[in-house]
Amino acid sequence: MNNTLFIHDRFAEFYKENASIIKPPSKISQREFGFFTFKKDIVIRHKGFLNVKDLRNYVKQIVPSHAYYSAAYYEMPEENMERKGWLGADLYFDIDADHIPTKCRKIHDTWKCKKCGFQGRGIAPAECPICSGRGFEERKWPCEICLESAKYEAIKLLDFLIDDFGFSHHEIQVSFSGHRGYHIQVESEKIRELDSSARKEIVDYITGTGLNPIYHGLQGTPRGRHVTSGPHMDEPGWRGRIARGTHEFLLSIRKEDLEDLSLKKKIIDEIISRREEILRSWEKEGPWSLIRGAGVETWKKIIGKAIESQSAIIDTVVTTDIHRLIRLPYTLHGKTGWLKTPIPAEKIEEFDPLSSAIAFKRGEATIYVEEAPEFRIGEETFGPYKNIKVELPLAAAIFLLCKDAAKVVD
Amino acid sequence: MTLTREDIAKYPFLADAAEEVRRVNLEIQNLDNPELESIIKRAANRIREALENNPPRVSYRKRQEDIEIPSFPVAIIMAASSGSNYIKRRYALGEAIRAYNLLIEEEREKILEVAKAFNWRIRRVKDIIGNRRFDFALSFIDYLRNTKPFHEEKFKLVNKPLIKGDVYLTKREAARLLQEEVRKRIEDKLNMEIRLKLPDRLLNQIENLKRKYAGYKEKKILEEAPKEMIYEAFPPCIRQLLSAAKSGQHISHLGRFTLTSFLLNIGMKIQDIVDIFRSSSDFNERLTRYQIEHIAGNRGSGTKYIPPSCETLKTHGLCPDFKACGNVKHPLASYRRRMRTFKKETKDNISEHE
Repeated sequence: MNNTLFIHDRFAEFYKENASIIKPPSKISQREFGFFTFKKDIVIRHKGFLNVKDLRNYVKQIVPSHAYYSAAYYEMPEENMERKGWLGADLYFDIDADHIPTKCRKIHDTWKCKKCGFQGRGIAPAECPICSGRGFEERKWPCEICLESAKYEAIKLLDFLIDDFGFSHHEIQVSFSGHRGYHIQVESEKIRELDSSARKEIVDYITGTGLNPIYHGLQGTPRGRHVTSGPHMDEPGWRGRIARGTHEFLLSIRKEDLEDLSLKKKIIDEIISRREEILRSWEKEGPWSLIRGAGVETWKKIIGKAIESQSAIIDTVVTTDIHRLIRLPYTLHGKTGWLKTPIPAEKIEEFDPLSSAIAFKRGEATIYVEEAPEFRIGEETFGPYKNIKVELPLAAAIFLLCKDAAKVVD
Repeated sequence: MTLTREDIAKYPFLADAAEEVRRVNLEIQNLDNPELESIIKRAANRIREALENNPPRVSYRKRQEDIEIPSFPVAIIMAASSGSNYIKRRYALGEAIRAYNLLIEEEREKILEVAKAFNWRIRRVKDIIGNRRFDFALSFIDYLRNTKPFHEEKFKLVNKPLIKGDVYLTKREAARLLQEEVRKRIEDKLNMEIRLKLPDRLLNQIENLKRKYAGYKEKKILEEAPKEMIYEAFPPCIRQLLSAAKSGQHISHLGRFTLTSFLLNIGMKIQDIVDIFRSSSDFNERLTRYQIEHIAGNRGSGTKYIPPSCETLKTHGLCPDFKACGNVKHPLASYRRRMRTFKKETKDNISEHE
C-alpha cells in the first residue's frame, strides 16, 4: 500500500468520527475556505459555507490533507479575488520555528539533492557540493527545542498584544499550528478594517524594526559623545524592554560578544572590567552614563542586541497580508497528522503540543523507517531509527509517514 | 460640544457642512447681493492662498465670522468643480495647515474637543514618561489611521510610547495628527461629485485659477519612466534579488514580486524577465509567464503593479542596506536618482577624455 493512500484512509476515519470537533470561525458565511487534497496538486479555493454543519460534512467528504479559512471577511467569499468584496480581516500572527535560528536545526533538519541524491544536515545550501544541483527536498523536524523556542516567541508576542496594544484575553485566540509553531489571532471589531500599511506598523512595533532608542529615553550630549540617561527596567513598552534587554545582554557578556558589535577596544575593556558596577547600577539610574567614552552610537549598538532578544520573531508576510488563509482549528496537519489546537492564552506556558495535539489515540501500524531522530508522542519516546521495521502506535507511525521518513509495510 | 462662532470660523469643517452648503447654494445664484460678493471673493482667495504659498497656507481673518464661515463651503464647491487634482490636493492641505496653526495656539481642552468631533478615541492625560510630559492618550487605531502618510522616524509607532492600546502624544503632535485628519476630510469632500449649475462668473474664476496654477504641474506627474535601462543604477535590494534569481537561489514570494514589478516598470520585456527566472530549480515557463503578465496588468483585474515601498521592503527583510539610498522612499525613485548621477558621471568622464 502506498503511503499517501494509507494516510488518506486514516485521516478519513478520523474525520468520520471527529468532524464535530472542527471549530468554525466566527461569521462563517463571510469567510473563504481552501483545501489541499491528497490527490497530487489539487487545491480547492474560494469555497464558502453557510453553516458549520455543511463545513464539517464537506471535510468528511473530501478528506483534506490541509484545511484553511480566510482571516478576511467577504461579501461574497466564493467569487474571485477582485469581486469578493473585502469587509475586513482579523489580525493574525504566525510564529514558526522555521524563522527561529535554533541550534538543533543543524542536527535534525535534513536535505537531499533532487538531482544526485546527496544528503546533508541543517539548512539546504545554495547549490549541491557534489553535482551543483539547486533543487532540494528539505525535511524539517518539529523537535522539542524548536517547539519550546516557538512557544517562547509566542509568549513575548502575547506581552506585546496585552500590555502595549491593550487587547484583552477574550479578544486573543492562541493555537498550536499542528507542526512547528503557534498562531495568534486577534478578533475585535476595532482592528477589523485596518489596512495592510497599518498592520505593517504593528509588525514593525513587535519586531522592533525602525526603532530608534533616542525616542525611548536614550539621551546624550548634543553631539552624542556622552550619554546622560536611558530608560529603566520597570517602565512600560519598549522603554522597559530596552532596559531589560540591555541588562540581560550585559549580565552574561563575554568579550567576543562586544567585539562582534565592533566596539572600540577601550570601551570593551571598560565594560568587562566594571561589570559588577554596571549590574549594581540598575538599582538606580542604570549604566547609561557609567562607561567612559561610550556615546550614543555605542549604546545604540548594544541596545540593538536588546531589541533582538526582546522583539518577537513573527512571519511578517502573514500579518500584513489581509487576504491570508489560516489553518482551520481542530483539523489535521498533513505534514504531521497532528491537530491545530486552540489554547487559552493564559495556559500557554504549561501547554504540551506533543500530548494535546495528538489526534490518533488508538491502533498500531507497522512501518519501515528510513531515518528518524528520537521523538516523543505523549509520554512515550521513540527512536532514533535507521533502516528498521517497527510496529508503532498509530500516532507515531502516521507522524513518520507524513514526514516521509518511513514506508508502509503491507 | 460647545463651539462658538469664533471656533467655527477657525475650524469651519466642524460645522454641519451639508446645511451650510445648502444655505449658500440657494443664494449663490443671486450674485447681486453685495454681502455674497465678499464671500465669493474670500472663497476664491482661500484657494489662491493655498496655491500661492509654499507650503500651502490659508490665512485666518479674525473677527470676520460672517465671511470666514460661509466662504469655506463656497471654496469647497469651487475647488471641487475645478476638476483638477492638483488644486484639490493643494487646497485641502492649505486648509489643514491653517487648522494646525490655529490649534497649536489653543488650550489643550479645545484640541480635545476638536479631536472628539472627529470621533477620535482620545483622553486628556498629564502623564510623565521618562522625563517628557504628555498631554493626550490616543487609541493606536486612530493613531495609525492618521500617520499613514508620515515618513518621519519619530512618528513610527515603534518610536512612540504605547501603553494598553494608547499612544501618548504631546499637544503639538496631536495637532499634527489633526491636520492630517482635516486634510483627509476635505479631500474626501472635494472628491464627491458636484452636480451644481454654478454661475458663469464663478466658473470663470475657477478657469483662471486652473490656467494659472494647474497646467504644468499635472503634466509633470504623468512624466514617463525613462526608456533605457542601466544596471549600474539598480538599488541594492533589486541587485540582490536579481543575482539571487539568476543563480537560482530561493526567493520569497514578495521578493519575486518586487523584482518582477521593478523590472516591468523600468521597461524590461516580459520574455527577458521570464529568462531571469530560468535557473530556478522549480522553473515552470508557463506559470512564470502567467505571473509576470499578471503583475504587468495584462491579466486578472488589469492592475499594473509597482514594487513595494522601501518601508515595506524593510519590514520584510528585503532591504540589504538601510543607508545606501539616502532619503529615497521607493526603489523606483532610487533608480531614477542613481540613473541621473550615473549619467552625469559618464558624461563627466567623456568630457575629461575629450
